[in-house]
Amino acid sequence: MGQIVYDVHYQTSLGFLISYYFYLTGLSAGSFMISTLSYGFGMEKFKPASKMGVVTAVLLLLLAPQFLLMQVAWPVKSLWHNFVYLNPLSAISYGAFLLVLYPLNSIIYGIFMFKDNKKWTKFFGLIGIPLALAVHGYTGWILALGVARDYWNTGLMPIVFLFSAMVSGISMMILMIMIRDRFFTKEKVINREILEGLAKLLGWLLIVDLFLVFCDYSILLYSGQEGQEVAHFMLFGRMAFGFVFMENIVGKIIPLIIVMIPKLRNNYYLLVLAALMNMIGILAMRIVTVYGGQVLPLM
Amino acid sequence: MSIEKKNQKLPRWGMVIDLNKCIGCHTCEIACKVQNDVPLGIWRSWVKEIEKGVYPNVVRAFRPTLCNHCEDPVCVKVCPVHASFKREDGIVMVDPHLCVGCRYCMSACPYEVRYIHPQKGILDKCDFCHFRVDEGLQPACVEACPTSARVFGDLHDSESEVAQLVSREPVQALKVDMGTDPHVYYIGLDQTTMEVKREVEFVWDK
Repeated sequence: MGQIVYDVHYQTSLGFLISYYFYLTGLSAGSFMISTLSYGFGMEKFKPASKMGVVTAVLLLLLAPQFLLMQVAWPVKSLWHNFVYLNPLSAISYGAFLLVLYPLNSIIYGIFMFKDNKKWTKFFGLIGIPLALAVHGYTGWILALGVARDYWNTGLMPIVFLFSAMVSGISMMILMIMIRDRFFTKEKVINREILEGLAKLLGWLLIVDLFLVFCDYSILLYSGQEGQEVAHFMLFGRMAFGFVFMENIVGKIIPLIIVMIPKLRNNYYLLVLAALMNMIGILAMRIVTVYGGQVLPLM
Repeated sequence: MSIEKKNQKLPRWGMVIDLNKCIGCHTCEIACKVQNDVPLGIWRSWVKEIEKGVYPNVVRAFRPTLCNHCEDPVCVKVCPVHASFKREDGIVMVDPHLCVGCRYCMSACPYEVRYIHPQKGILDKCDFCHFRVDEGLQPACVEACPTSARVFGDLHDSESEVAQLVSREPVQALKVDMGTDPHVYYIGLDQTTMEVKREVEFVWDK
């Protein structure tokens, strides 16, 4: 009704660095999940991906917190303040512990795996699954507990984050298995069986992910004023390219079509394309969720 | 309102802003910036201005904005290092020695009154000029207001002007639905000043 003559612009608080941090923890959690499929759950066909999965999980989780520390204005102070002046009500407090425990557990799990100790590998793998769920789920909680913003403040947020983590992790594993088999083995033969299994898994997880996004948006569009506005902003406003095109069409729907049709799935070029598109789409999802969720002013 | 329930011996600082008296002169904004050495491009307290109506029936509505010093502040809950805290007299403050600049409270505050200090890298916000209040003075914005639109005082003291205004006048606080129980009250708050123009360009953007 009124026309704003003067108002103060609001500083955007969580930027792209946080998006990259969420993306890398997601990839780490996803590849850890894949590595536990054979040792933890006895799915023998995924065994060739186990060692690679745990190594990437550890490496990515050593890289990811660097983005977090770049975002924090006082990185050294934050390293010990998070433990000494702990606030049990804050989601970030738990993250500090998880970011220490999860890589440690992954390293132990990886050592036992490389020593071929099946019993202890299974043990630490099964401990690692709740840790991997927590280390990525808590990033969803961070956003969900930012109660001011309707786009974030939903119970779906941690689950959406978990599923997007798993799909991006699987896509990364597909790409890495192809590169390893094609260029770094003596036989130079691509393991068709494991790729087929991962692609099918990717397809089903993508369906769940798309369903969660549908739930989220259908509820947002029927909620209060701010929720409706942020949903319109995502679907038709400035974020439409990032959300509708990059995240959902490029990142989820086209890869879903490719991995769900056996003829397309067996074409390695298309499978690489699907995995790449999915990884780009999930990165877009992180940016849209973190940055797009808070770009609209509240007052 | 939780004023009645709490410990009556301690003061509970609060503010009432009478928008019928506000003339939109932005003096409080300047006084706050001078008193607290707030850097360029950032405000602890400011006056939002709205032009409403259709010509010839037009008017400007104002809404001075500052930290609401909530009884149940979200920023205090989400701070991972206890840097954001609420004093016993209700002033919500940030301890610069504890703050690590993670900006989580900025994204959780429903009133968007927090900012990162560009030079210090720690979080900064309105603290009711606590050093002035402790010395028995009024906050700088209240002191500077030429029309006495801003009234500051102890909400527990039934003799104080704020307590009387809150009990007598029809007052409204911002975003009470967030469950934060804000302690900055407005008399004559215009609906248009609370609306958020999310997709509309600002005047100066054109």
